[in-house]
Amino acid sequence: MAQVSIRVEELGKTFRVKRKREGFKAGLKGLLKPEYEEKAAVEEVSFTVRQGEKLAFLGPNGAGKSTTIKMLTGILHPSSGHAEVLGLNPWKERTKLSHRIGSVFGQKSQLWYHLPPSDTFELMSRIYELRRSDYRRRRDELIERFGIGPYLNTAVRKLSLGERMRCEIAVSLLHRPQVIFLDEPTIGLDVVVKQHIRELVNELNREEGTTLFLTSHDAGDVERLCDRAIVINGGRKMFDDRVEVMKLRYLTHKTVRMVLGEGPRPLRLQLAGVQEQQRDGVKLTLSIDTTVTSIETVLSRIMADQRLIDVTVEDPPMEEIITQMYSSSASSR
Amino acid sequence: MNALTKTFKYVYIGRITLRNQLAYVVDFLVRSLFLLLILYIFLQLWRTTYAGEGTATIAGYSFRQLMWYLVVTESMTLACPSLCTKLEEEVKSGDVAIKLVRPIHFIAFHYTEYMSEVAIRFTVNSVLGGMLGLAVLGPPEHAIGFLWLPVVAFAGFTLNFMLGMTIALSAFWVEETRGLEFVYNKFLFTVGGMLMPIELFPEALQHVVRWLPLQGVVYAPAKTAVAFDSVDVPSLLLMQAGWIVVFGLIAAAVYLRGVKKLNVNGG
Repeated sequence: MAQVSIRVEELGKTFRVKRKREGFKAGLKGLLKPEYEEKAAVEEVSFTVRQGEKLAFLGPNGAGKSTTIKMLTGILHPSSGHAEVLGLNPWKERTKLSHRIGSVFGQKSQLWYHLPPSDTFELMSRIYELRRSDYRRRRDELIERFGIGPYLNTAVRKLSLGERMRCEIAVSLLHRPQVIFLDEPTIGLDVVVKQHIRELVNELNREEGTTLFLTSHDAGDVERLCDRAIVINGGRKMFDDRVEVMKLRYLTHKTVRMVLGEGPRPLRLQLAGVQEQQRDGVKLTLSIDTTVTSIETVLSRIMADQRLIDVTVEDPPMEEIITQMYSSSASSR
Repeated sequence: MNALTKTFKYVYIGRITLRNQLAYVVDFLVRSLFLLLILYIFLQLWRTTYAGEGTATIAGYSFRQLMWYLVVTESMTLACPSLCTKLEEEVKSGDVAIKLVRPIHFIAFHYTEYMSEVAIRFTVNSVLGGMLGLAVLGPPEHAIGFLWLPVVAFAGFTLNFMLGMTIALSAFWVEETRGLEFVYNKFLFTVGGMLMPIELFPEALQHVVRWLPLQGVVYAPAKTAVAFDSVDVPSLLLMQAGWIVVFGLIAAAVYLRGVKKLNVNGG
C-alpha cells in the first residue's frame, strides 16, 4: 500500500467579500457603512492522494480548485478543516514544505522576464539551497529531458509560450519535489506542445514517483495524464473515482462513424436516442444514447437495409463529460 | 553554515535583480532628466532667496551646501521604487503566490529586490546630479561627508523600505494602498526634510520632527554629506538603526497577520 502524500479532511475556505451595490448613492453609502457577505469557495472537501498517484482536480471556473491548491501549498489559510501534505501542515509549515513540493501556475511565470532561463535555474538552486554538484547534475538532466538546451541562454521575453512553459516546469522540478501541483499547465499551448509536456510529466511520474496534482480545463490533460479524478463544483466534491469510471458513468453517448456500401439513400432508423449528426455521401455519423438504444440494435437495423463497409465507435471528448456532470449536478439541485 | 547558505541566497537574489534591472537603465536615465529639471528650479528659487536674505548662510547652510543637500535628497527620493504599487499588483494579479510557495522570507526577498533597484537608480541619479552640481556649484565644501554618504544612505534606504513595507502590506487587506503611500511621500517631502533641511523649519516643528522616523530617510544622509562637521555620525546611525528595528518588527508583525488574511486572486 503506497504512502499517503496528501490528506484533506473537511477543508473549507470562506472569503469575506464587500457587497457592492449599483448607483452613486449606494456607492457612497457603501463607503461610509460597508456591507460584507461570506462567500464559501471550498466547503468541507475531504480526500487523500497516495504517493505517486496522478490526480486530476477538476471543476468549472470558480469551483474552488485553485483555492484548494493554494491551501495545500500553504499560500492560503483555511477557514475550517485540516490538511497534511507529506505529513506537514501546509499553512503552518509552509517553508519546510516548500522544499519538498513544486508548483507550476500556468497563468503566472516564475522566470525572470529580461534574463535567460539559465539565470532562474541558478537562482532557484540558491533559493532551495541545493548543493552545487547536485544542482549541476539535476540541471543537466532536466535540460536534456525537456530539450531546453538551445534556448537556455535566450532572454525569456524572446521565448515562445511553449518554450517558456517547458522551462517553467523544468525549473519547478529542480529541487526534486515529491509532490507537484500543476495549475493549468497547458493553458494557451498548441496541440503538439501540449502532447510533449504531457509525455514529459508522465515520464517524470514513472521514473521518479512524483505525485501529480493537476487542475485543468483540458480534457486531454485528464485523459492522458491522470488515473484518478476529483470533480468539485460550488466548493463541494461531487465525484471522486478513476478517470475510467468517470468516463463510463457519464459516457452515455457514443459517436458512431460509418462508411456505407451504397450512395445517398434515406435512412429510416426511427430509433429513440439516435441522432444523425452528419451525412456526406456514403459517410454517416450518428450520436447514440446507449442508455436508450444499444449500438448493436442500431447497427443491425442499418445492416438489414444497407451494406456496411467500415464502422468506428468513439467516446465523446472529456469536455462533454465534464459539461454533462456540471449540468446533471445543477439540475439535481 | 546553514545561516551562511541562507544569507547567500539573498545575496544571489540581489545579484539577479541587479542584472534584471540593468534592462531598465535607459528608462532610469530618462527619469533622471526630471531630476535635472527639479534641481534647476530649486537652484533658481534658492538663489533668489539667498539674494533676498542678503546673508551668506541660512540656518547654518551656505547656498552651495543647500544645493548639494538637495542633490542628495532628490537623488535618493527618485531612486526609491514604489513598494505599494509592487505589492498591490502582486496581490491583485495573484503573483504573490509565486513568492509564497518558495522557501524565502517574503519581506527579506522584497528588501533585497528593493535595495538592488535602489543601487542602480541611486548610482544613475548621483552621477547626473553630481555632474550638474560640479558644473554649476563647484565641488562640495566638505568632501569627507560624501565619503560617509553610502553608509548613511544605505541605512536611510533601509528605513524607507521598512516604513514603505509597513504601508504596502496593507494590500493584504485592502485593494488600494497607493493613497496611503501618497500621503507618506508628502510627509517625507515636507517634514522628512526632502525639500529643505529640518533646521529651516520653525522651532516648534523642529522639536516634533526630531521624534519622527522620517528624518532618518533623506535628511540624515544629506546632512552628513554637506555638513559633516556639525553631525555626529554614530548618533545618526544609531537613530536610523533604532527606527529600522522598530519598523522592521512592525512590518514583520503586519506581515504575519496579513498573510493569514490574504486573499490570493486569480485562478
